[in-house]
Amino acid sequence: MSEYNLVIGLEVHSELNTATKCFCRCKNEFGSEPNTHCCPVCTGMPGALPILNKEAVKKAITMGLAVGCKINNHSVFERKNYYYPDLPKAYQISQLEYPLCVGGHIDIVVNGQAKTIRLNRIHLEEDAGKLIHDHEGTLVDYNRGGVPLIEIVSEPDMNSAEEAVAYLEKLRSTLLYVGVSNCKMQEGNIRFDVNISVNKPGDPLGTRTEIKNLNSFRAVQRAINYEAQRQIDVLDDGGVIIQETRRWDDALGKTFSMRTKEDSQDYRYFPDPDILAIEIDEKFVEQVRLSLPKLADQRAIDYKQMGLSIQDAELLTSQRMYSDYFDEVLSCFNDPKFVCNWITSEVFKRLNVDESDVIDIPVAPNNMAKLLKMYKDGEINQAAARQVLDELWKNDSDPASIVDAKGLRQLNDVSAMEEIMKKIIEENPKAVAELKAGNSKTMAFFVGQAMKASQGKANPKIINEIVNRLIK
Amino acid sequence: MAIEKQEVEKLAKLSRLKFTDEELHTFIKEFESILEQVKAIDSVDTSNVDLKECGDRVNFDSLQEDIERQGLSQTDILMNAPSAKDGAFLVPITVEEGK
Amino acid sequence: MNYLDCSIKEILENLTSKKITSEELVKLCFDRIESTDTLNALNSTYKEQALIQAKEIDKKRQSGEKMGALAGVPLVLKDNINLKNTKTTCSSKFLGNYVSPYTATCAQKLVDAGAIVIAKANMDEFAMGSSTETSAFGVCKNPIDPTRVPGGSSGGSACTVAAKQCFGSLGTDTGGSIREPASFCGVVGLKPTYGRVSRYGVVAFASSLDQVGPITRTVEDSAILLNILAGEDQNDMTASKESIPDYTADLNKGVNGIKIGVPKQFFTNELSVEVRDALLGAIENYKKLGAECVEIDLPNVDKALAVYYIVSSAEAASNLARFDGIKYGKRANNYDDLVDLYYQSRTQGFGKEVKRRIMLGNYVLSSGYFDAFYRKAKRVQEIIKREFLEAFEKCDVLVSPTTATTAFKLGEKTKDPVSMYLSDIFTVPVNIAGVPAISIPCGVDSQGMPIGMQLIGRHFDEKMLFRVANAFEASTKEAK
Repeated sequence: MSEYNLVIGLEVHSELNTATKCFCRCKNEFGSEPNTHCCPVCTGMPGALPILNKEAVKKAITMGLAVGCKINNHSVFERKNYYYPDLPKAYQISQLEYPLCVGGHIDIVVNGQAKTIRLNRIHLEEDAGKLIHDHEGTLVDYNRGGVPLIEIVSEPDMNSAEEAVAYLEKLRSTLLYVGVSNCKMQEGNIRFDVNISVNKPGDPLGTRTEIKNLNSFRAVQRAINYEAQRQIDVLDDGGVIIQETRRWDDALGKTFSMRTKEDSQDYRYFPDPDILAIEIDEKFVEQVRLSLPKLADQRAIDYKQMGLSIQDAELLTSQRMYSDYFDEVLSCFNDPKFVCNWITSEVFKRLNVDESDVIDIPVAPNNMAKLLKMYKDGEINQAAARQVLDELWKNDSDPASIVDAKGLRQLNDVSAMEEIMKKIIEENPKAVAELKAGNSKTMAFFVGQAMKASQGKANPKIINEIVNRLIK
Repeated sequence: MAIEKQEVEKLAKLSRLKFTDEELHTFIKEFESILEQVKAIDSVDTSNVDLKECGDRVNFDSLQEDIERQGLSQTDILMNAPSAKDGAFLVPITVEEGK
Repeated sequence: MNYLDCSIKEILENLTSKKITSEELVKLCFDRIESTDTLNALNSTYKEQALIQAKEIDKKRQSGEKMGALAGVPLVLKDNINLKNTKTTCSSKFLGNYVSPYTATCAQKLVDAGAIVIAKANMDEFAMGSSTETSAFGVCKNPIDPTRVPGGSSGGSACTVAAKQCFGSLGTDTGGSIREPASFCGVVGLKPTYGRVSRYGVVAFASSLDQVGPITRTVEDSAILLNILAGEDQNDMTASKESIPDYTADLNKGVNGIKIGVPKQFFTNELSVEVRDALLGAIENYKKLGAECVEIDLPNVDKALAVYYIVSSAEAASNLARFDGIKYGKRANNYDDLVDLYYQSRTQGFGKEVKRRIMLGNYVLSSGYFDAFYRKAKRVQEIIKREFLEAFEKCDVLVSPTTATTAFKLGEKTKDPVSMYLSDIFTVPVNIAGVPAISIPCGVDSQGMPIGMQLIGRHFDEKMLFRVANAFEASTKEAK
């Protein structure tokens, strides 16, 4: 593989989280009874006409501005004509010549190496319906038909599967930062097409193939690695790469030819006469630009200034949800390092963060802040704090009442502790002798005994002091 | 303007229409005479036309607000369906042809 | 008095003064429909429903309730206009059994004004044709001479009004489909400015050219209907927000001082002598009434037909792709697989003319030809539009024949699509420029067939059209 360059370009389709569809006012909602969010427009009935959703246009522009695109002040919707049962009009309303956004870039870091991936464009289009296959045939549900979708097209600037995944992670993170898409992969909110070619250094670019409709980062990574190796094998065997569209079979871990360029469809794009060209004035663009939330890179800089490490800052800003959560906890309990350590360890562990989806943190930020304050102030110890977090995770409520109900408050009463420790020392002369002989590990034994005797409520710091005082 | 049979066959495919050879033959003749008429536009000087400036345009503010409106019932959506099952349109098994 | 001879204006007066009830009127219409059944003007009729509606309106009127502007007036819709729970066939086998689950904006406006839709009219299949001979449900005949065509594509809509089966109808006009049949049948047909009337719910032929308009027996009726039909629509982005005047306001202002443009390109050799003479007579008449006539040059107007066939076919090919046998309409009985289902359903469902336009449309859109045909045609369209705008700096309206000849014989042109397409040479440029035009009767030929005069106005200046048209209509009435 090393003697070949790998050249990758990505097309990302991301559904927008508007209330209604792109060209009619039916509800944009996942997972309802088939054909219950439909009207004459989104089922392509004779005589129906599209109307353009303002919010969909705004969200597409918002994303464009977040990644540095230029917004076209003249934008046109076109018809992409092809037959498929999920496409009720037999054309998809999309954009070709005058997309809403052009240019832009996404900055990634792979193995500590920073890289800029250029974008070609972002355009707005409509999603197709859903096909469900059963023994009698294929069932067609148009609930998803007409849902607004942005297609984000990169330049072929990536050279490894790792870069592609880093690009996708950053892109998804940005979509979530600006709040234009829910990016739920399980619901098909976000889907990927990969263009890939290989060439030897110094040679011109190789013939590319396109792998369509991947729906997880892992699939993208595996498909790229498989397809690159397949192309290299073909070339090494003296064959040629055919420009074609390929399908990824996730179970088999292989790509298969769908159709070649020769029999590729002629989409006969032309401006949709039902939709007037859109004029977007500079003032409006500026207004959207000003309303953009603070994005990951800027937030990371702010966190570093608070004293967090680069790694922690990047972890916290990898998802807007984490960063927002961190900020909200901080607003109630301003101890950045302490809060950060807790979130990146205890909270992340419970989120079971995997690449496929973002799960909400089920604990309200103010409850998390209260918990951390009790822990920091020594009202509870670490074990108790973890136990309370487990409780909150299942059933979010006031952590103080959980502490009280479970009797987890730390024993900070020195004289009471002294009574307990005196008894333990009396019963364990051997351990006392060891400690006196300088075996500092024995201290752990005393702390353990104290915890046992206090049902875990003892304050380890105080135990330390008492043992040292009584024995020495 | 001569039209190749092969070209008309390609158009028939794009149009999802079938023609008999006889139909294709008369069709090609008619087609050629229509295209002959259509050629008239070639002589018009259109160098000072910018299509971007032509036609009606709409500004952002007058686009449709993102507010839900009740669509049709599932029954109405399916009322003309040649075949339906479980609230969905039923078609012959569909192999992914790609888009 | 025969109430069926009344205009909409007159019948509304008779209804208001309770000389006749709406129920009686609907019955009269249906008696007429039955006695003139052989014209084949209508695809479906709604007698039962119409009588129920008429009775309700009569009851309301009896109790002194406020009535809509068209309360109780029987009207007909072209069969490409959706009206909930009625068939909308577009005179195509493909939609032979299609029942609309929703109502077009224009139809809703008529219904809201109290009109009673009594039927849907025959037409050329998907509005593609100039004679109503491409209808899958049989040809419609000209009520003045049933051996002749009524024109098309809104042939049924013109025929039903001329045959006095109803008081007015809606047609659609993409290249002359309202004006040409109105001319052939001796009635008044208006194609409003593109965008004046919502297209929502009207089955599209060529979206950038289609426009809904009224066919009536008088110019005043045309203005009355446009008053109701005009206006923006949140379901149609191309429906204009331009303000709506009272279109009846200037009807009787006369033409004194009005400048009437006579485009020299519209008085060519293709014109039959009788049509030319009728038009020249009409122009003389206008001069007598005080109008000033000026010669106008539209150097590229002869390219309009070429532009029309490219643009309208391209849009039609895409608009009619949705008829795929999946969701509604024809699905072939036998097919091998999904792709074959498409082929069989469309091949069996569409007629020859529709197939021809779809093929032509896909030709001009296909890669390699797009720039030479579609893009070039759009550019030439702009040139033609500019020529019209320039013309309207020199005059208030343009005058021309609506068609080069009067109604031709059934079957006369069906074998030669190009000669059929030439029926539209005077009407097509109007759609290409997006301006409004009205066709009004201006005499008959030696066979007694009506001759139509077309008046063309500035964008959104239908008011001027009605004024100039009404002046002529009034003068010919006086002459009788």
